Order: sequence, then structure tokens, then C-alpha cells
Amino acid sequence: MAERVLSAPAEAGAALWPRRLLGLALLLLLLALMAGLHLSLGASSLEAGSLWQALVDYNPQDAGQNIIREIRQPRLVVALVVGAALAVAGVLMQAVSNNPLADPGLLGINSGAAFFVVGGLLMLPGSQHGWLPLYAFAGAAFAALLVLLLSGRQQSPERLVLAGVAVTALFAAMTAILLIVDQQGLDKLRHWLTGAIGASDLKKLAWVWPWLLAGLVLTALLARSLNAHHLGDRAAASLGVNVGLLKLASLALVIVLSGSVVAVAGPIGFVGLVVPHMARLLVRSDYRWLLPYALVLGAVLLVSADLAARIVVRPYEINTGIITALVGAPVFIALVIGRMR
Amino acid sequence: MSLATKMNRPLPFTPLPGLVFRLRLKDLCWLLSFIAIVLVLFLWSASSGSYHLSMAQVWQVLLAPDAQPDRLVRVVWEFRLPRILAAMLCGAALAIAGVMLQSITRNALASPGLIGVEAGASVTLLFCVILMPGLVPIFWLPVSAMLGGFLVAGLIYLLSSARGYSPVRLILVGVGITSMLSALSEMLITYGDIDLVESALMWLGGSLHQVSWGQVEVMAWWLLLAGVPALLSFRQLNLLRLGDKVALSRGVDNRKVIPLLLLISVALTASAVATAGTLTFVGLMAPHMARRFCGDRHGVLIPLAGLLGALLVLLGDTLGRTLLAPLQLPAGLVIVLVGAPWFIVLMHRSRHGGAN
Repeated sequence: MAERVLSAPAEAGAALWPRRLLGLALLLLLLALMAGLHLSLGASSLEAGSLWQALVDYNPQDAGQNIIREIRQPRLVVALVVGAALAVAGVLMQAVSNNPLADPGLLGINSGAAFFVVGGLLMLPGSQHGWLPLYAFAGAAFAALLVLLLSGRQQSPERLVLAGVAVTALFAAMTAILLIVDQQGLDKLRHWLTGAIGASDLKKLAWVWPWLLAGLVLTALLARSLNAHHLGDRAAASLGVNVGLLKLASLALVIVLSGSVVAVAGPIGFVGLVVPHMARLLVRSDYRWLLPYALVLGAVLLVSADLAARIVVRPYEINTGIITALVGAPVFIALVIGRMR
Repeated sequence: MSLATKMNRPLPFTPLPGLVFRLRLKDLCWLLSFIAIVLVLFLWSASSGSYHLSMAQVWQVLLAPDAQPDRLVRVVWEFRLPRILAAMLCGAALAIAGVMLQSITRNALASPGLIGVEAGASVTLLFCVILMPGLVPIFWLPVSAMLGGFLVAGLIYLLSSARGYSPVRLILVGVGITSMLSALSEMLITYGDIDLVESALMWLGGSLHQVSWGQVEVMAWWLLLAGVPALLSFRQLNLLRLGDKVALSRGVDNRKVIPLLLLISVALTASAVATAGTLTFVGLMAPHMARRFCGDRHGVLIPLAGLLGALLVLLGDTLGRTLLAPLQLPAGLVIVLVGAPWFIVLMHRSRHGGAN
């Protein structure tokens, strides 16, 4: 301990590089393993041999290989992207609000986006599908605004969470009214509304990937400013960071990231809450490392959740959003019991 | 002496020798005027619907049912009255529970939905309706929902006091458990038979269209049994609102009092949820509306919030069944839709709405 304190910061940073890289490589290995399991396990389990063949030398006539390429691979891609985007959004929210309990799902942003998407689909049936992400962004922004209004100037964690709960209740009720008025809509949308990942979602991913990519790149650019902000608003300002602009940019990025995810897979909660804490256990709070770690961990978590969703009650499936809530809520409770006064 | 100071001066009032209440004229005026508003709304609600009556007709049917045609008496007494009364009773119960919770936790955004009663009750009910239809007779469904609510509320209290009770923990553990249980109920909703799901969803949205006189009677007893102790504990609530230490210095031990007060508010919430389903926003909004008229004096705040809760649910239910008739919107959803935007503006403006 003493050595680490005495050594110059730059030196310590240099010494950490290989360890951090090794950790990231191990996480990527874990991700590859989970992805392999995701592809091979399911309603019908396939062997490693046919998995390898499907990936390297695809033969469309073979039923097993067909399942992998046509059904499971698109689903895997969607799960990877969704998990990574949600985790990064969670890191951003927790960093900017100084609140260990921030999460796009808990704070009502997901449900706002979901309401706008449902409303858009039911009210304007002829609209282009490319518009869906824009509906989701509008809803996410609206919900974020409401939460900020409700939580007021004192940013205590419990007040922010309660404001999020109230806003979630508001949007859930409005979605429920829309679905009661339009009964056929309920049957179509009830899977999507609990956060579902399906094979057909690769198509939806095509509408949102430019947004997601831009969001992730811009987030990476913010890493240094986030590090400065971690020292406090004043210290960040003295280091040349425009704190107001940083908060605004982070909010916009959170809206884009979680809005895109909702447009693809519906509201999936708790990934953004759990993953940043897992990543922080591994790399403390250096955002240059925290962001990539969270990205990979988020992908790992969502792929595993999706895997569990498919094999727990084989041959039926549970929605992924339900699994993440069942896993994430106990983590939330543990955080509350352990961390809060 | 000006009128304003006269209205604000506490007047001693001794119903029994040795028992002294202090009442302010202003509070009495507000209470009476809200009672009048509730009565007018009651008549309007009883007269509107698919079979339209005038308010005068309703008045006559209520006062002298024997002199009126049979059909009118049946419409009013069999169909509309139980529904209206149930709406008012549930609203009052939820509002009182909301006042108590906000004072116990000293948090303006606490509400009965957060202590897990609603989530526990809904999950229990969904289990009974969707997974095992016919196992529990319809008459006993509210009772099983209530049991579930009590169980979950107990679990939340145990978890939040595992490492020393604190109001913040109670609220946040409540949020966590609620979201876990709502994931469970979403699972049931997604995979259940669509017809069973539709009826369960109506109940979950807070709807009163199947209320019978028996349920009204049960609800009235619960409100009496739990509401009167709530009203009598106004002094303890006043002191707790100022902080645990202040309360302790005036002889109110928060470790002994809070579990009892929580039990009362859970009983109120559970009975309301069992009768009418989830009416999430009433317990959050009614206390704030009442506070604008009488501040934090719980002796007046509790009855006033009860009246406002009754008003809100009655209004929500009546609008829900008349706006888009013949389609019936659940009362809970209407209340959220009308109340939430106003509530958000109110919370933004209020200076003393913060958690301390």
C-alpha cells in the first residue's frame, strides 16, 4: 500500500497498463465463451463442431447450422450491442449525477422512450420505421426533463430515484391506457414492452446503429473530462473542463444510447445500474479504463441474461428484460443496504 | 383583531372532560367546504352514466327509495352506489397511508406504492388469476392479495432494518423489491392466457367496476379500524416530522412508534389495493394537495387528505367510465393522467418539498 502511495502517479499509471490490458483481454475471452454458449445452447442444443462449421464454412442446407446463422447469430449481435450501450449509458449517468443508483431504467428514461414508441406505432401507423429511434429519443428526453424537474435542486440519491419511480409510473399508466384502447396492439406489443430480444431485431439494429456508434465514440472522447469531474465540480472547472457542457453532453448521450436500445429491444432495466459497479470493482474510477471495461462487461451480462432467458424454461423463453430485473434488483438492494447510511 | 388572525387562532375544544383538541376556524372551514365538494361530486357521479338521471332524481332516490320506480332504485342502489362508496373509501385510505408514510420517512416523494404492498398484492393476485384460475374463489381474491401485500411489506421492513433502520433505506429497498416483483408480474402478464391477462390488467390499473356491497362494508371496517388510530397518532406524526431526536426529546420513541405507524399504513393500503387494485398516484398526490391548505398539522391534515383522496378517486372513476363510454378506463390510470403533470409542476415549485 505504502509503495503505491509513494510512487509518482504517472509511474503508477504506466505500471497499471499491462494489468489493465490483461484484464480487458480476459474479459473479451469470457465474452467469446459466453457468445459461443449463446450460439450453441437453446431450445435445441448443438455441438461445438457444427457451431464451428456454421461460422467458418456455412452450409445453408444443414438445419442446425441454419438455426445458428439465421436465428441465434442475429440475436447474439443484438444482445451484444444492447448490453454495451446500456452499460455505457449507466456509467455516464452515475458519473454525471454523482449518484451510485442512477440507471436509465430506474430513472424513467426507458419507460418514456417506450411510451413514445408505442404511441408512435399506434397513432401514426403509416410512419417509416426509420422514425422509431427518433420517437424513442424524444420520449427519453421528455422523461429525463420530467425527472430533473421533479428531483429539484438538491440531488440526493433517494430523491432522484423516487422522481424516477414517479415518472415511470406516469409513462407506464399512459402506455397501459393506449393498450387498453387498442386491444390488438396489446397482443402485438406485450413482448416488446418487457424488454425482449428476438431474431428479427437485427433489422431494427440497422435503423439505430449510426446513432449508437456516434454515441459510443463521443462518450470515449469524454473520458478525460469525466475523470476531472470525478474530483468535484470545482476541481474540474479549474482543470479547464466546462462542467455545464459536460453534463449536457452526457445527458444527450444517455438519451441517444438508451433511446436506441429501447427502439431495438424495448425497455431493459438494471444493466446500466449493475455493470458500472462491477467495472468499478475491477478498475476503480479511471474513466479511460472504466468505459471499455463497462462496455465489455455489459455485453457479457446481457448475452448471459439472454442465454438464461432461453434455457431456464426450455423450450419456452422468458423475456431478457425480466431476467435482468430479477438479477439486478437484488444487486440494487444490496447496494442500498451496504452503501447508504 | 383582524379576520385572518381570528381564523388562525387555535380554539380549545373539549369533547370529553380531560380530552382537549385545539381547532382553528380556518381548518374547520376547509374541512366543511371539502365535505360539501365531495357531496356534490357524489351526486354528479351517481347521476351520470349510460342511464342518465338528474341530480334531483338521485337525491329523491337516495332519500326515499320506496316512493320511486323500481328501475331507478336498482340503477342507483345496486350499480352505482357501491362503486362510488368503494372509490371514496379506497381514496381516503390511500391518502391517509400516504400522509403517514411521507411523515415517517420525511420524504415528499414517498408513497404507499413504495412499501411493497401494491406490488405484493398484484403478484399474488396474478398468480391466483393466471396460473391457478379457479383455485381461489373470487370472493377470497382480495384477501389473498392482502396477505401478499402484508408479507412483502414485512420483508421490506426486515431488509431495511437489517443494519439499522433508516427512512432512506426503507424507501430504496422498497423501490428495489417493487421492481423485482413487477418483473415477476410482467412475466405472468406476458405468458398468461390473453383473456385472463386482460381481466387482470383491468384490476391492476385500478378499476372499480365489480365492487359489491359486501366489499364496501369490509373496506369501511378497515378504514375505521386503521384510520381512527392514524388520526389519534397525529401528535406523534407532528413530532416525527421534525426529526427523530426532536421526537425523542418530547417522549416519542421512534423505534417503538414507527413499526406501529407502518403497520397502520400497510393495513390501509392493503385493504384499498384488495378492493380497487393499484391506484398508485393517490397516496402520493392527495397529501400534497391537503398540505397546501393546512400545512403539516396532522390533526387536520389526515382528515383533509382523506377527503381529497376520496375526491380524486371518485373523480377519476367517474371520468373513466363516462369519457370514452362504453369503454371503461381504470380509475388509477385516469388519476395518473390528470394528476401527474400537475404534481410535477407542484413539486418543482415547492420550496419545502425536499428531503432533509
